[in-house]
Amino acid sequence: MTPYRFDNVLVAIDGSEGAQRALDCALSLIERLGGELTTLAVEGKLPAYAATAGEVDEVRREKDRFFDQLLEQAAGQAAERGITLRTDLVPGHAAEVITHYAKAHGHDLIIIGHRGHFLGDYLLGSTADRVAHNAHCPVIVVR
Amino acid sequence: MDSTQLAAVLAAVVVLSSMLSVELGLSVALIELAMGVVAGNLFNLDPNADWLVFIASFASIVLTFLAGAEVDPDDFRERFGASVGIGLVSFVGPFVVAGLVAHGILGWTTKASLIAGTALSTTSLAVVYAVLVETGLNSTRIGKLIMSACFVTDMATAIALSAIFIKPNSWYPLFLVVSVALILALPKVAPWFFGRYGNRVIEPEIKLVFACLFALMVVADAANGHAVLPAFVLGLVMARHYRQHPLEQERLRVVAFAFLTPFFFLRGGLNVSLGAVFANLGILALLFAAKLVPKLGLIMPLARRYVPEHAAFTTLLMSTGLTFGTISSLYGLNAGIIDTTQFSLLITVVVLSAIIPTAIAQHWFSPDVEAEREADSARTPGLRPTPRPIPAGEQA
Repeated sequence: MTPYRFDNVLVAIDGSEGAQRALDCALSLIERLGGELTTLAVEGKLPAYAATAGEVDEVRREKDRFFDQLLEQAAGQAAERGITLRTDLVPGHAAEVITHYAKAHGHDLIIIGHRGHFLGDYLLGSTADRVAHNAHCPVIVVR
Repeated sequence: MDSTQLAAVLAAVVVLSSMLSVELGLSVALIELAMGVVAGNLFNLDPNADWLVFIASFASIVLTFLAGAEVDPDDFRERFGASVGIGLVSFVGPFVVAGLVAHGILGWTTKASLIAGTALSTTSLAVVYAVLVETGLNSTRIGKLIMSACFVTDMATAIALSAIFIKPNSWYPLFLVVSVALILALPKVAPWFFGRYGNRVIEPEIKLVFACLFALMVVADAANGHAVLPAFVLGLVMARHYRQHPLEQERLRVVAFAFLTPFFFLRGGLNVSLGAVFANLGILALLFAAKLVPKLGLIMPLARRYVPEHAAFTTLLMSTGLTFGTISSLYGLNAGIIDTTQFSLLITVVVLSAIIPTAIAQHWFSPDVEAEREADSARTPGLRPTPRPIPAGEQA
């Protein structure tokens, strides 16, 4: 039996409490086991069927600010624990992006919070459920 | 229900709409329109309260100004010929077909048919822009072409509204003089005025813009004209200034989105009778076809010529509509040209045209953005593809 290796870990964050716990878990794991850690933030969709281009621009600007700050904070938390963190921000549908990204970048473990902060998580099943269902590698869902 | 009670109810609906917009990832305008339909059909809310009509009318002029200010003049110049060709065909085709269908088949009055033609010939720059930005295509050649063509269609709509439905009187020359004077003066005055009085919480720069727009509305009313065209051109001539001072534009948008445009879209929804829509599903389908068939049939050949590999994507995005369609329909309703049933049908078609062609274009015809960037850089030697911005905080 091939032993599992967690050398290239991906943690998905979105600013929710669950995502923060997932990041804490990922940092603890890397502290103990070593390996590389990448933090991925998925910039959700822009408002569909907007009435003014301004609405789209402002939402994009808000999202950019929010996610830039989020990734900066994550990098800061990692640096405090002596861990070098790669960060990336990708637009799109969260579950799809996370699973595709993990496969494309050869990640061998995905860590994700139990629930994000979007209504869709409550109505349609959480992003974590869909990632766990579709991922090519083991997934830790942090409660 | 008195004015204050109505305002309180609508304010609550506006808040709820904003929350739903954030949670569902849909445009707040579309949600406000939909919530207006729900509220108007469930409760006895008066869509014709004086204060609501006043705010909605001003909001439509502010929306038109914002639409003009969102155009990038440099992008437009880059593909002028193709933009004008596609944009004009996109307006004229549905304008003629929808007008003839409304008059000849549905028996609408000539003026009501012209409103139908105007409302259904529009294209939504904002709907298109969201798709292009999300896919990263806004910086590519095809993206710029589609946005410029949308601008031409918007401009044609503004001209149609300003030219067809006016009954010029002795005040009309004054309306023209004031319009031209503001269009010439504001871009020249703005840098000095904004520099001296701007960047304050009391927002003199927004007040200046509002004063100009109110001045246009006053003289347009006196002249039996319509302020939509000068407001659009005023926005257009201010576009470059706002591009250099994005914070000013952001503040103007904040005021517009927080207080003005919600009442415009809510009022649009409040006037929609769901009963009238469901009782006339056949007419609804006919009007929808009157918009889509000429758009698809006439734009496709031009799109094949200018962007052969993405003709379907371009054609579908040029078939969208929302803001100018709503503005045209509300204008017809306010002026007594169309009745509530006709308004309900037109608004429903406008909203459907925002959703259906966009969804089809995104799902089946969306171009590969990386391939487009490579193709653009191959066409322009020395131009490197724009890399995705690296977020702050990224570490090697």
